[in-house]
Amino acid sequence: MVELIDGSENVSVHGIFNWILLLAIFSVITCIGNYIGYEHPIGDSLVGMGILSLITLIGVWMERKLPLNISSIIYISVIGIIIALPIMPTSSFVLHYVSQVELLSIVTVFLAYVGIGMGKSWNEFKALGWRAVIVTILVIASTYLGSAIVAHIILVLTGVPV
Amino acid sequence: MGEGIISNNDDSTTDVQHIYRNKTDKRILKKNPWKDYGLHISVLVLVIIAELIGPIEINLSKSVSVSIMPLLYTMVLGLIFYLAKPITWIQRKQARVAEGAMMLFIGVLIAKLAVSSGQSIHLIFQMGPALMLQELGHLATILIALPVALLLGFKRETIGMTNSIGREPEVAVVVDKYGFNSPEARGIFALFIVGTIIGTVFISFLTSISVSLLPLHPFAFAMASGVGSASMNAASLGPTLAAFPALETQIEAFAGFSNLLSFSVGIYIVIFIAIPLCEKLYSILEPKIGRDAIIDEDGGE
Repeated sequence: MVELIDGSENVSVHGIFNWILLLAIFSVITCIGNYIGYEHPIGDSLVGMGILSLITLIGVWMERKLPLNISSIIYISVIGIIIALPIMPTSSFVLHYVSQVELLSIVTVFLAYVGIGMGKSWNEFKALGWRAVIVTILVIASTYLGSAIVAHIILVLTGVPV
Repeated sequence: MGEGIISNNDDSTTDVQHIYRNKTDKRILKKNPWKDYGLHISVLVLVIIAELIGPIEINLSKSVSVSIMPLLYTMVLGLIFYLAKPITWIQRKQARVAEGAMMLFIGVLIAKLAVSSGQSIHLIFQMGPALMLQELGHLATILIALPVALLLGFKRETIGMTNSIGREPEVAVVVDKYGFNSPEARGIFALFIVGTIIGTVFISFLTSISVSLLPLHPFAFAMASGVGSASMNAASLGPTLAAFPALETQIEAFAGFSNLLSFSVGIYIVIFIAIPLCEKLYSILEPKIGRDAIIDEDGGE
């Protein structure tokens, strides 16, 4: 856990090159999975992944280069929302290609990396014991259900049709 | 007291971003992560296997079914790859690279959700009240998990363990408020680690069962899927999309927006409402139902 809080490092051109290559690898794997699972043409989905990778790249670059204290998640969300707005000229191009990449195809690849990455926490997990597991399960279940039930009540009160 | 809260708040917002930035930078900027081709080829193989098997539906009873999505196979197989002795090309170093790369790939996932949100922006405005108020639904965890944690023998750890779902931003808030070596921080570290290992799998099953059992609005499930980390969001979206295939874009839009709110508005709810509420409930309940401390025998450092 000590890794959570230690010093920052500088971004170089070399670093950006690493980001681009990683995103390219990720895109190719996702498009192959997207083709096998959903039979979307690889060419179109590669363009879609290219758009998403570019948004990511701009977001992480802005987080590090701009003096504002804003997380890349926020930059990426804002850029993604803006270029897809129905009034934007970019909208039809972006939607056509990005819709070729299924969300679940991206997630499937993403979680493979997560699975390998979380192997590191395995020994700490085993040491924590069953009480921590029970509390964690309760925390996740009650947060999820609490959120779903409140959302449902508000949706019904504001008259949103199912 | 008031000043303390405000300064804590500033520090924690800075910390939240540093966690992501440092992890990513340290792992992937110094080394050349793409050279770890064993790692990437393994991921490709896992993805091909998972997509070829496809989703499996298990009927628990007539009305309740659990769907297991390819995303769960790749995650569990990834963990097995790391733990399996014969697989020598996936070691601690690769796990660190995978973790750093994952921080970058979250961006692609967020970008995809953002594009869906942009496309359905009118719906987001229309559903504004539900999206904002469901964040308060997260507080249910305090009312349910805190008494149980006390009954199980946790002490001050309960305040860290039950204030929220305990992903990176909340860990930063608790560490910042109570200090790295405090029992509260120990509590949220435990939650963080257990959540990392079982959270994604558990929320996927929970969603499957909830979607087939509870008669809630499809958008409510979509908003609830955004409660935790990006991977938990993703794992919960799988069964939700499978249950309501006609509403794909809207569900993605709400899930993405709700996850964004969890990361931005959510930490302020934790700072200003959840932690004070935990403290209050702890001071009321601990003398009544608290047990002898178990932390020593139970392996907490």
